[in-house]
Amino acid sequence: MNTLKLAFRGLSRNRRRSLMTLLTIALGFAAISLFAGYTHNIYSGISRGAIHGEMLGHLTLRKPGMTKEGKLYPERYLLSNDEVEKLIELLRNEPHVKLLAPRLAFSGLISNGRVSTIFLAEGIEPSALKTLQDGMFTQAEIERGAFINMKKKLDPDHPEVVELSTGLADLLHINNQGQAAMLVNTMSGQANALDVTMSKSFDTGNAGTNDKFALVSLGFAQNLYDAAGHADRLTVLLDEVTQTEPMRKLIHAKLQAAGLEMEINSWNELSSFYTQVHGMFNMIFGFIFLIVLTVVVMSVANSMGMTVIERTREIGTLRSIGLRRAGVVRIFTMESLMLTLNGCGMGLLLTVMVRYGINVANISYTPPNSVSPTPLLVDLDVGHIVFTFVLMGIVATLAAYLPARRAANTKIIDALGHI
Amino acid sequence: MITSNSTQPLLRISDIHRRFMLGETAIDALHRVSLDIHSGEFLAVWGPSGSGKSTLMNIIGLIDTPTAGEVWFDGQDTHSLKDDSITDFRGKKIGFVFQNFNLVPVLSAQENVMLPLQIQGVTDTAARDRATQALVDVGLDKFMTQRPDKLSGGQRQRVAIARALVVSPRLIIADEPTANLDSENSTMIIELMRQMNHSKGVTFVFTTHDPRLLEHVDRKVLLRDGLIVEDEVTQ
Repeated sequence: MNTLKLAFRGLSRNRRRSLMTLLTIALGFAAISLFAGYTHNIYSGISRGAIHGEMLGHLTLRKPGMTKEGKLYPERYLLSNDEVEKLIELLRNEPHVKLLAPRLAFSGLISNGRVSTIFLAEGIEPSALKTLQDGMFTQAEIERGAFINMKKKLDPDHPEVVELSTGLADLLHINNQGQAAMLVNTMSGQANALDVTMSKSFDTGNAGTNDKFALVSLGFAQNLYDAAGHADRLTVLLDEVTQTEPMRKLIHAKLQAAGLEMEINSWNELSSFYTQVHGMFNMIFGFIFLIVLTVVVMSVANSMGMTVIERTREIGTLRSIGLRRAGVVRIFTMESLMLTLNGCGMGLLLTVMVRYGINVANISYTPPNSVSPTPLLVDLDVGHIVFTFVLMGIVATLAAYLPARRAANTKIIDALGHI
Repeated sequence: MITSNSTQPLLRISDIHRRFMLGETAIDALHRVSLDIHSGEFLAVWGPSGSGKSTLMNIIGLIDTPTAGEVWFDGQDTHSLKDDSITDFRGKKIGFVFQNFNLVPVLSAQENVMLPLQIQGVTDTAARDRATQALVDVGLDKFMTQRPDKLSGGQRQRVAIARALVVSPRLIIADEPTANLDSENSTMIIELMRQMNHSKGVTFVFTTHDPRLLEHVDRKVLLRDGLIVEDEVTQ
C-alpha cells in the first residue's frame, strides 16, 4: 500500500491543524538550531581565545609537579636549555605540530618611579608570539574590527621593549614608549630589576587580568629571572584543534619512549573559563531543548490524537478491507513523521534566514567579566541540527505511535460505528 | 445465479450466539443462528431494526466474532485464525459495501478502488489497471479522478461496489447499501449488484429493510429478535 501517499493526503484533511503543528515544530526547531548556532559561535570564540588569545596553544608540556611546586622550587621544575632543545628536537617533525614555543612566566613588581604594583608576565619568543596568534579572529571579526586591541606584538631586535595590559598601563600612567622598571625574585631568590619600555598596551579580554598582565620576549624574561636558557613549559601549537587529543597521546608515547617524564595538558584543561562557559551553556541548551521538545511532542501527540479520533471509521474500513493492525500504525506514524520532517525542514529554512538577519545586523554586547564588546554571531551548527532533526523525528513518531496503536486495536465493528 | 447448492457451502455458520454487554446489561443480538450460504447466491437478510441483521453481517464478514458457535468460510474454520491471518483472509475473499459508503475522502474514485489491492501488495500499475476495469464495470469510467465529495450518493456507492469487487472476492457483504439513497438509486444499486452477481459469479449478501428490493433476490432470510424466522428461496 502506498503509505506515503495516504500519509501525505491525510495531512491535507485538516489543513489548519496541520499548519499549526507544522509551525510549532518549525519554530521549535529554529529556536533550538539558532541557540545551538549561537553557543557554537561562543565555544568557537572562547576556544580560539584560549588557544591563541590566552596563548595556551593546544598542548602544554611541563615537568610533573610544576604547577604545584614550581613557584617554591623553580630550579627543580624549570626546563633547562638542554631539556628544551631535546624536546624540540623530538617533536618538531611530528605531524600537525605547527609550533613549539618555550615559555617562561614570572611575577614581580613594576614601577614608574612614583608608584609600584604587581604584575604577571609572560616571556615568549617574538616570532612564536606571532605564530601563536594566527587564527585568533574570524574573518567576520576582522572585518568588524572587533577585539582589535587584543593583538600583541614583540620586537625581536629590542628585548627591553615590552607590552603591558591596558589596565596596568593606566595604573602606572604610562603611555606608548613610556619607561618603567620590573623587579623580580630570580630563580635563586635574589632581587633583580631591569628597565623596560612599553611599546603599546593591549587588552587581555578578561577584566581580572587586564590590570596585571605584561608580555616580554623570552630572552628578556630569562635575563630578568636569571635563568638563561630556561623555560617553565613548552607550548605546542597544532594545525587543527581536533588533533589535540590524538597528538597528546602520540606525544606522551614518544616522550615515554625517550625516557622523558612530562605532564601534558590540553588547552581546555588549562582554560577554566572555557570549561565553565561550556558547562553553563550546555546546561542552558539542554534545558531549552527539553522545553521545546516537550512542546513539540505535546503538539504532535495532540494533533495525531485528534486525527486518529476523527478517522476512526476510516480505520475500521481499512481494517475491513484487509489492512493489518500494523498497517494502521504505519499510516499514522508515517503521517506524524512526515509532519515532523516537513516542520524541521521549514525550521531549517527559518534558521538560515534568521541567522543571516542576525549576522548582518551588526549586534554586539559585552559579556560578564569582559573588557570589550563581543559581536553577536550565529553559526550553522550542523551536528546539533542533524541531532535535533533525528531526535524530533523519533520522538514525534513515538508520540503518534500510541494513539495509532490504540486505534489499530479498536474492534472493527466499534470503529465502523464511530460517529 | 446459484451454482452449487448441493456441494460444500461457501459459508456455514452454526449455532451462532452473540451477546453484547451494555454496562452490566447483557443484550443477546443473535440466538443460535445457523445458516449456509452457497457460492453465487444473491441473498438478502431483512427484518426490522434491532433484529440482528448488522450483527449477522459482521460475523459473516469476519469483522466480529460470535460469543458462541462456529463460522466456516470456504471450508476453513475461521475461529482458528489469528488476527493477521483473518485480516488477510478477509482482504482476499470478502468485499464490503457500507451504508455510508466509507470511501477515503482524500483519495480519488480510482485510488479508493486501488486501495484493497495495494494493501495486498499488488503493484501500482496492476492495481490501477484493475481499478480502472472495476470502475468501468460499474459505469464510472468518466469519474475516476473525482474525489468522493464530487460524486452523488449513487455514484459513491458504485465506487464502493467497485472497491469490493476489485479483489475478485468470493463474497460481498453489503450492510444496508441503499439506506442513504433515494428509491431510484436504491434500485439501480441493487440491479448493479445483481448484474455483478450474474456476470462475475460473486456471492452477495446484503441487508435491507426495504421490501421492494426483495423482488430482486434469489433468497431472502427474515430475522426477528436475533432469530431466523424465515429462509425463502424465491427464484
